[in-house]
Amino acid sequence: MSLLSITGLAAGYGPLEVLHGFDLEVNQGEIVVILGANGAGKTTTMRAVSGMIPRRGRVEFDGQDISTASPDSIVRLGIAQVPQGRGTFADLTVEDNMMAGAYVRRDDVQADLERWFEVFPRLRERRTQRAGSLSGGEQQMLAIARALMSRPRLLLCDEPSLGLAPLITQELFGVLQKLNAEEGLSILLVEQNANLALKVAHRVYLLETGNVVSTGSAAELAADDSIRKAYLGS
Amino acid sequence: MLKINQGSPQHWALRTLGIAIIALVVVWVPTQMSTSRIGQFSDAFVLIIAAMSLNLVLGFTGQISIGHSAFFGIGGYTAAILIKDHGWSPGYTFYAAAVVAFVVGCLIALPALRIKGIYLALVTLAVAVLFPTLVKWKKLAWLTDGAKGIDSVRYDELPEWPVLGELKGRDGRAVFAYWLAFLVLVITYLVCRGLVKSRFGRSLVAIRDNETAAAVMGVNLTATKVLVFGASAALCALAGVLSTLRTGVITPEGQYVTLLGSIVFLLIMVVGGAGTLWGPIVGGLVYVWLDNTTRGFGSESDGVIGFLFGWSDQSPATLILGLALVIIMFVAPYGLVGLIKRLWAKVVLVVPKPAGTSLSTTGK
Ligand SMILES: Nc1ncnc2c1ncn2[C@@H]1O[C@H](COP(=O)(O)OP(=O)(O)O)[C@@H](O)[C@H]1O
Ligand SMILES: [Mg+2]
Repeated sequence: MSLLSITGLAAGYGPLEVLHGFDLEVNQGEIVVILGANGAGKTTTMRAVSGMIPRRGRVEFDGQDISTASPDSIVRLGIAQVPQGRGTFADLTVEDNMMAGAYVRRDDVQADLERWFEVFPRLRERRTQRAGSLSGGEQQMLAIARALMSRPRLLLCDEPSLGLAPLITQELFGVLQKLNAEEGLSILLVEQNANLALKVAHRVYLLETGNVVSTGSAAELAADDSIRKAYLGS
Repeated sequence: MLKINQGSPQHWALRTLGIAIIALVVVWVPTQMSTSRIGQFSDAFVLIIAAMSLNLVLGFTGQISIGHSAFFGIGGYTAAILIKDHGWSPGYTFYAAAVVAFVVGCLIALPALRIKGIYLALVTLAVAVLFPTLVKWKKLAWLTDGAKGIDSVRYDELPEWPVLGELKGRDGRAVFAYWLAFLVLVITYLVCRGLVKSRFGRSLVAIRDNETAAAVMGVNLTATKVLVFGASAALCALAGVLSTLRTGVITPEGQYVTLLGSIVFLLIMVVGGAGTLWGPIVGGLVYVWLDNTTRGFGSESDGVIGFLFGWSDQSPATLILGLALVIIMFVAPYGLVGLIKRLWAKVVLVVPKPAGTSLSTTGK
């Protein structure tokens, strides 16, 4: 069943149109990767889905039209975003960062806090530290844990591997795969690194200058010669 | 170094001791000190309240305002007009001033907060410059009495408060003004503390640290910024009311009603420690102390002080505080409170509770 369904999505900044009207779909329980070079419009896509910028076309989440919804109502509906560059709140403690992630919730969040501390034990150790004092990898973990605090059904993840050592990135993607497999969390992931992307993705969209130029299962795209040349360097 | 656990009996003892010392000083001032000293403390309290209000928008939310002198003036004028023209009892004007300033604050914030950084600074700067001009405007003279301002704004008869007993004459008025300012200060502190340590407060710091991330967490940026700006304006107006009631006068060129007021609030907040609850308190006390000790420097003709400050016939407190600011920015990026905390941490280390659910913002 389709959880997120995008048709003819166009968006940009002022007079500059960056996305030129493409379709994209994320099914319940899927990891979908948007693969594209720098400046292709990946971050802009994320912003358009989470309601941060004006957009045209139709965006549906769980059958509901969210094309004109505000960012906070989109979070309430169950879409959380891990922004590019992590965006942790440097002066808040690790714990308060996670509480901020639960901003739209009015119910008790303690149980969720404990639950995500189980998944990210290093965050528990540092729960009273300033987020700004964490390492890059820890901050990325925190950004993900924080997003999970709103109890999303769809997680938007914008280049989580950016600036991280390969080993840390591997660990991170392992966590994302585990969340997907064990919690049934659907994930829309943005990546520049095709090797990484094809390993975790169920399906891939290839974005070039605001248009989807190719789409298919990870295996299909990995087998495509032209794509291998352009994105895998072999 | 002493290590104690958060929430342990030792920790509570230490906190109780701190509160006892503060309480002692607060009572000592109006009972043992001269009337002029008491006045200086009242003045400090007024400035602390104004700096605390600015701290909410700038220190915690990261939205610059150079327009707070206007809210201070709105408070002062609201009180003066209601008392003189409408026979209000001074006590009630606090509420009215807060409401008026809240509304004006929100109205200014609505367009102003859509813009950022230097532009927001410029818009609020314009508000600060415009306010005295508006007050002096001929067509508003029926309300504001133009350039000469409004005087004899005071309690006809001091209300009787429990414990304080009967207060009479100039000395009695000074003592009353002191306690009134202290009361409003405590309320302002508690309001700021309540706001900052809540879910709302977390969203303020989130906006300051990363606006985009705050928005994707579901924080409504416009509503939050407008609300905090309005609340801040309301608190600043309380300081204006206090100042007017204490001195009995308010004029368009009055102390802290002009742009200089905004700069003084800003200096106090940054020197004390932006984004900390105690920063404005420390900054305000230091500012008033400096202002009073350096007041005579301008007329001094001998020695080093005369050489350094003899050219000026004004109190060089703002100048000295400005210089202090530059130095503090280097040695203590989180202000005096940050410096004190850092030094204090070398003596006593409070170990946080392992399962603590504190909402504290750290590192300040
Ligand atoms: N805030 C912005 N204002 C104007 N143009 C922008 C802004 N953000 C991105 N762009 C432009 O949009 C295009 C796509 O950017 P982006 O979506 O960030 O790409 P990606 O995330 O794929 O690297 C780029 O040409 C970039 O210059
Ligand atoms: Mg990007």
